[in-house]
Amino acid sequence: MLLINQLVGMATIQDLGRYGYGHLGVAQCGAIDRQALLLANKLLNNLDDCAAIEFTASLTVTFNQDCWFTITGAPFIANIAQRNIWHGWRNRARKGETLTIMGPKQGRFGYLAVEAGFRVDSVMASASTDINSGFGGLNGRLLQAGDQIGINPSNTNISKPVGAVIRQNNRKLRALPGPELQHFTPQSRQAFWQQHWQVSDQSNRMGYRLSGETLQTHNLIEMRSHGVMPGVVQIPPTGEPIVLMADAQATGGYPRIATVIEADLWKLAQCQPSDHVQFEHVSPAQADEANQEWQRYFYRLQRAMNHHG
Amino acid sequence: MGNPIIYRLGERALVLDPTPSTPISMALQRKLCWIADLCRDRQEIISAVPGMNNLTLTLSAMSHIPSWQQQLQQLWDEAESAQLSSRHHVIEVKYGGRYGGDLDAVARHHQITTDEVIAYHTAPSYQVCFIGFMPGFAYLTGLDSRIATPRLASPRQNVPAGSVGIGGEQTGIYPAMSPGGWQLIGHCDIELFSPNHNPPSLLQPGDSLSFTALKPVSRGTHAAN
Repeated sequence: MLLINQLVGMATIQDLGRYGYGHLGVAQCGAIDRQALLLANKLLNNLDDCAAIEFTASLTVTFNQDCWFTITGAPFIANIAQRNIWHGWRNRARKGETLTIMGPKQGRFGYLAVEAGFRVDSVMASASTDINSGFGGLNGRLLQAGDQIGINPSNTNISKPVGAVIRQNNRKLRALPGPELQHFTPQSRQAFWQQHWQVSDQSNRMGYRLSGETLQTHNLIEMRSHGVMPGVVQIPPTGEPIVLMADAQATGGYPRIATVIEADLWKLAQCQPSDHVQFEHVSPAQADEANQEWQRYFYRLQRAMNHHG
Repeated sequence: MGNPIIYRLGERALVLDPTPSTPISMALQRKLCWIADLCRDRQEIISAVPGMNNLTLTLSAMSHIPSWQQQLQQLWDEAESAQLSSRHHVIEVKYGGRYGGDLDAVARHHQITTDEVIAYHTAPSYQVCFIGFMPGFAYLTGLDSRIATPRLASPRQNVPAGSVGIGGEQTGIYPAMSPGGWQLIGHCDIELFSPNHNPPSLLQPGDSLSFTALKPVSRGTHAAN
């Protein structure tokens, strides 16, 4: 078991998300930086979908049992019993030790995962917290000081720390053209792909708003509500993009100018307000290649872990 | 019915958008819901979300896109001759008074009695077109245009769960407490969405429903004056 002593900012339990309920109006949720959660779980030999704590600022927790853990995502500073903890590494906590996490130095979301995962009831086949609808995770709410979270039992076969190569965020969001791209004026299309968009402070787990030169369509287009998913870039009447993120509603009604590829959505997730991002027009084949690059990254990690035990 | 428009959205979603520029069709919506139900049983399909006269499928991998472009076309052709059945729900509503604070205002707006508002609201069979906005929130079509009423000028912060409202040309039920700008005309006691039920939502896309007045309120009052 793990006890949360102190917590600043927003922390929730998240796994890879809740799938197959979009037709009932249920959001996908799940880790906003999926690759960071995958990395955390792979470092611990966990199933990819194990639930972890997603956090945004300082966090202090006490382990009530011996336990291997990792911290991934944005580079937070951490220590446990006077030992510095590197993010992207797996480490061992002894029963009674307190882990202090501070930051982040840059980026936005960190992940604390434990071997075998946190023990959280599954709701509609997922442990993810849906904070807008109030279910999943720990009673459907944000974590708070005093919360105790169970840890699944494990027969550990981990013997030593291992670290991963840390990816770099170049803030270039590769994106596929959206169904309504051609409805925008040539000038707006050019602006969409070329300008440096500033991440607005009105950005959260539902969507990131970007500010810059506003975009216009040739004519007013009447849109009917349609299914949407994380990564879809909508242009509301204000003309400034909203990139849908993990907690986005299942349906939307704004023109879809583009979709950020799954391999790159984490880059936006890890932007702080006032950071700048750019979209880069790619083909489905390039998106596929980008996914394979992630697969190779995790494959190399697995090989290194097999080698080091 | 010819070739529908099927296009790709992002890496691994397909959108079936058969008639983007023709008026909204309930027959088409039933067809799309029928296709969506079949798709949901298929392993390569992660989600099948009906919108308003369109359907978005998310596939488990990008590599399934070409084959599903064809399969969607086939399902579309099969739906033409399929027997489309739908579940019908009868929802009991307490209209007016403390259950529906805007009933009088709606009656006044149309210069009719509250009983007439209730009569017009309980007469039709509505169709659940799709569910969105929040879990279990059904977009219903079939509202009698005689009681279509503009939304409130400023939305309420907390609309209680179970509230039955009218917003423009639409009517619906709030499954959970939420902010909302619809005119509230009544309340029903049923649980529309429960994350631990299977299925979690009482209403499914493609279902139909009608409202019945549980206890009529003040009769014959002409709210227009």
